[in-house]
Amino acid sequence: MIEVDGLTLIYGRGGTAVPAVAGLSMVVDSYELVSVVGPSGCGKTTLLFALDGLLAPTAGRIRMHGEEVRGVRRDVALILQDAGLLPWKTVRANAELSLRIQGRKETAGKVLAELGLAGFEKRYPSELSEGMKRRVGIARALALQPRVMLMDEPTANLDSITREHIQNLILGLWWEMGFTGVLVTHDMEEAVFLGKRILVLSARPARVVEVIENPGMGEPGYRGTPEFVSQVAHLRQVLGGNGP
Amino acid sequence: MTRTLRLAFYYLVAMAAVIGLWWGASWLLETTREREILPSPWVTFRAAVANLGTLASAFGSSALRFLVALAVAFLLGLPLGLVVGFEPKLDRYLSPLIYLLYPMPPVALLLFLYLAFGLGEVVRLVVVVMALFFQVVVAAQGAAKYIVPSHVTSVRSAGATRWQIYRHVVLPATLPSVLTAARVSVGLGITMLYIAETKLGLLLGPGAGLGRFIEYYTFRGDISLAGVVGLALLGLLFYVVLELLERVLCRWKFVGARGGA
Repeated sequence: MIEVDGLTLIYGRGGTAVPAVAGLSMVVDSYELVSVVGPSGCGKTTLLFALDGLLAPTAGRIRMHGEEVRGVRRDVALILQDAGLLPWKTVRANAELSLRIQGRKETAGKVLAELGLAGFEKRYPSELSEGMKRRVGIARALALQPRVMLMDEPTANLDSITREHIQNLILGLWWEMGFTGVLVTHDMEEAVFLGKRILVLSARPARVVEVIENPGMGEPGYRGTPEFVSQVAHLRQVLGGNGP
Repeated sequence: MTRTLRLAFYYLVAMAAVIGLWWGASWLLETTREREILPSPWVTFRAAVANLGTLASAFGSSALRFLVALAVAFLLGLPLGLVVGFEPKLDRYLSPLIYLLYPMPPVALLLFLYLAFGLGEVVRLVVVVMALFFQVVVAAQGAAKYIVPSHVTSVRSAGATRWQIYRHVVLPATLPSVLTAARVSVGLGITMLYIAETKLGLLLGPGAGLGRFIEYYTFRGDISLAGVVGLALLGLLFYVVLELLERVLCRWKFVGARGGA
């Protein structure tokens, strides 16, 4: 379970201080997948970095499984927007990077095979398609067997077919592995497809302005249902009333 | 393999072109001035063969000296450049200092270097190291300043220590630029080597370095020119070695997009 209480994050000091998040509170239940949407530049990524322990809150607090977050936690994995692959490491080395940094001896071979990357272990990121790169990024997070997955626009800048592939993959992994997930996105269909609840943030400084319950999420064929379409329309309306 | 062969072929063609130009210049000077000014490639080659032992010894000494200087410049300059480029605080305080010292030619300080280190091997190394050191520092600093933030975030989010960030991100990200800079500064390094071996090598025999060899045979144009060719080949050798090193250490730079779905 993730509990965020009155989170405030301010970049810089004095006259140049920029508040990115102001008094944001939210709760994500264990094994729940929640999507977070908001106008671009509203502080979504900042919120995610704070949840990951990369940024210390200016005020307020974040608790994970009852413990206060004071830095990076080993049971939390972050998937970066462009996958954050290191171009000088092979697919295998990239997938095992987080494990090695944590001094763990496990390998990522099985995870890579599950994500359809078997045979590509010795390739470098520049030899992969965008969709494959994202899968390597996901493999890196999964290799840690995390309890919490934080995802920063995992399908941004992908073509629509690849995007749906990756979205189905994330949903499938969530069913299979049962992690607690927070997915930041600016894609409204993605937010509805992957969020049991959808948190709508305000323009900067970010706070939660609406929580949309999305009980149909995860049902087979949800993407084609009238309920899905009306949820997307509703979300579009909510965001439309909240600036660009 | 065919790529390497083709590259070797291009080098051979280039060498043939240089020899052709040299021959032409030598012939032109001889006909216009009516005496031998620039010894021809053939004459130089004969002089080189006649003094092969000394020339080889001079080449070996210079190569070893340059190798040691290059290694020392890397060992000292790389960590300093990376730290200054990557840590904004150090960048603020140390960059002005580096930029102030960087353009200062070590040649201008020869007298003080001689007084400080004497006329031994150390002073010759110091001159070459000084020239190469700043090239490495400035290249490493520049590259470390512009590291892609998401690369750092990806290791930080796994809980990387400062040392792990340097090992997994900063060093490999900057290595290609640093090796390129090193390759570019081979020319400057060879010039400094020549100066160090002539100005600070007065007490040495001709086999103690190519600079000394050239100076020792000043009045034998053909022999001293063979030494100059030796210097050019020495530069080429290090240029090629650094390029090969880049191909081995930065393999990722040389793989193309082969695709996949």
